Amino acid sequence: MRVAERTKPDHGNAVATAAQPVLQTTARGSSRRRRGVNREGLEAGRRSTRTLLWILLAAAMVLYGFPFLYLLFTSFKTPIDTIAVPPTILPREWTLENYANALGRNGVLASFINSIQTAIISTVLSLVLAVPAAYGITRYQTLSGRIFIMAALVTRMVPPVAIGIPLASMMAAVGLSDTPIALSIAHTTISLPLSIWLMSSFFEAVPKDLEEAATVDGCSRLGALWRVVIPVVSGGIAVTAIFAFLASWNEFLFALLMTAIRSQTTPVVIANFQTQFGLDWGSMTALAAVYSIPVILLTLLLQRKIVAGMTLGAVKG
Amino acid sequence: MSSRTTISRITAIGGLSTAVLLAATACGAGGPAATSGSAGTSTVNVLVEAGGHAELTGVAEQCKKETGISANFVELPYDGMFNRLSSEFSSGNVSFDVAALDSVWLPSFKDAVQPIDELFTDEAKKDIFPALVKEANVDGHFIGLPAWTNAEIILYRKDLFEDAKNKADFKTKYGYDLAAPTTWKQYQDISEFFTKDGMYGTDVKGGVETEWLAHVLQAGSPMVLDGDKVVIDNAAHKEALDFYVGLAKSAPSGAAQVDWAAAQNLFNQGKTAMTRFWAHAYRQIPKDSPVAGKVGAAPMIAGSAGVGAVPGPWYLTVPKATKNTDAAKKFVKCAYDYNDKGIESSLGLASRISAFEKYQDKPGYESFKPLIETLNGTATATRPGTEKWQQIVDTVLVPMLQKAVAGGDSATLLADAKKQIEDLLK
Repeated sequence: MRVAERTKPDHGNAVATAAQPVLQTTARGSSRRRRGVNREGLEAGRRSTRTLLWILLAAAMVLYGFPFLYLLFTSFKTPIDTIAVPPTILPREWTLENYANALGRNGVLASFINSIQTAIISTVLSLVLAVPAAYGITRYQTLSGRIFIMAALVTRMVPPVAIGIPLASMMAAVGLSDTPIALSIAHTTISLPLSIWLMSSFFEAVPKDLEEAATVDGCSRLGALWRVVIPVVSGGIAVTAIFAFLASWNEFLFALLMTAIRSQTTPVVIANFQTQFGLDWGSMTALAAVYSIPVILLTLLLQRKIVAGMTLGAVKG
Repeated sequence: MSSRTTISRITAIGGLSTAVLLAATACGAGGPAATSGSAGTSTVNVLVEAGGHAELTGVAEQCKKETGISANFVELPYDGMFNRLSSEFSSGNVSFDVAALDSVWLPSFKDAVQPIDELFTDEAKKDIFPALVKEANVDGHFIGLPAWTNAEIILYRKDLFEDAKNKADFKTKYGYDLAAPTTWKQYQDISEFFTKDGMYGTDVKGGVETEWLAHVLQAGSPMVLDGDKVVIDNAAHKEALDFYVGLAKSAPSGAAQVDWAAAQNLFNQGKTAMTRFWAHAYRQIPKDSPVAGKVGAAPMIAGSAGVGAVPGPWYLTVPKATKNTDAAKKFVKCAYDYNDKGIESSLGLASRISAFEKYQDKPGYESFKPLIETLNGTATATRPGTEKWQQIVDTVLVPMLQKAVAGGDSATLLADAKKQIEDLLK
């Protein structure tokens, strides 16, 4: 509006009657052109920034995604292609033979069921323990709570191999040897500290006023937690659940030490394709590709919750 | 409201799933609740490295028919098996009744397994390769029955060796006929001859120690240790190391990083004309490999002390902690009685001389005669019986070899290695 007023023609000036419209038009045109040039320059700048960002994003995606893509392509290669020197990215000849070999191997289906069982139990155990622990620590802010959360972190600093053998002996002593519950408990020792820390950050992001309002409306402390706080941090719970699930799903060392016939999980079966007498790359990559499908599906299913959970932590303060 | 509904649903589903899963937990999906080590049962749990499982499958089937004893196999990757065995043996509570042990682990677990002297009859001792009979005997008792064994032999490209032009060119250059090498001088010449046009005569494996040690045995010296004395710096070790490193000029570059897998890949891709490799590899050449059907096998080459190699046997052992000793010993006996069943597996190995001889003239088993000759070699010997052996290999021998093939001074490297091994054995 102000720009329009500034460029408004002066109808009172008689001398400039004929030339004025031309000059005014020229001035307006020049100004528009300048603005147009500026706008175009800005647009061009934005476009190049966006292009650069897309290139960086694509590069990052390739960097992270390439190992998985290479695994996927290898799973479709013939035996000689898998060991080609120098290696090829795409198969020279596509084959499903590796999938048939891998899935036809004895114990693969059972190991999948064991992996699912173990990961679900471990995830549920982690959440059941981490949610109240994290809530208590963040809401009550006591010294013991702060010590507890630091101590939980310390357990992550111990190499799993150092506790693997004692854990395996303990499970054997209580008769839980070679059961999914034993492995789930072992996996919970890995995921629980991370779950407590994650949930603590999510609870901290929830304003205390919300709970107080719920209390004023007649809710008990537990009722406010259940009816108000938990729904607000549901995205965070989804994120924590995903991390706990993944920690168990991909875990190898404890599974190696604690499982045998009844509860062997798929990571151990995948590793069995590398023997002292050779490495069956094709079958190994085929089974690894199949094993990654449930995790991809789970991530897609909980995508909205995960994004919500991640932004929940980000808005604090 | 919708969040609350979602949470309620998740909680309900989670709770239900957990209940079902916990109920199902008493028995995982891997099979029946075969209680490990249960007294008097006719099922034995057999712990085996993943590659060896196939070797025992035929044995297990036959054993079930003949004795009624069935086997559940616990397959583990090689890299984790030692830890698993250590864990279970030290806890005194084992989940298996029979364990297949790599020969290098026998000294480490000698106190955790039972003597099985009764299985080593005079007849059995005659039918098992002498080096393996010796190795199975620890502190006066036989503690493991060899289930299958292996040794390095020479694999070579028959098509290249039989090519008329190659034969003529070779004779012109070296003055004798091109054929599978029977002396190390010939091996050197042939390696040099084929190193041209992007191809190499042989490989040099800086990542493994057994080939160099085979040269040491062929020169008539014990490997690394003579009793308690470290002899790694003697003339035989130095000569063997110098010869081994000398082959690098006819081998692909980067020898320091070449291990079994890399060497096998190079040969199967047709990049090397010869390789010294474990005999099982002869039957494992992929059908679509450019060298499939074009490979010949020859025994390991003799030195001044005769043919010498380091065998790679696996022994079946019965843990002291098992409560199912009778069935376990019966299974081990089955593995001896039906030892040839392993030859029909994908790995295709056995431990009895008679089992190898039964197949040696059959098509597809051309590697067996060279393997038998190598395993019967006068200089063939198993690894020193110290529980520190694997540690010596990983921390001293392989790093020393890698430095040697990268150009290090052999005398200095061997002297350093001697000191390190003496420190380890203190």
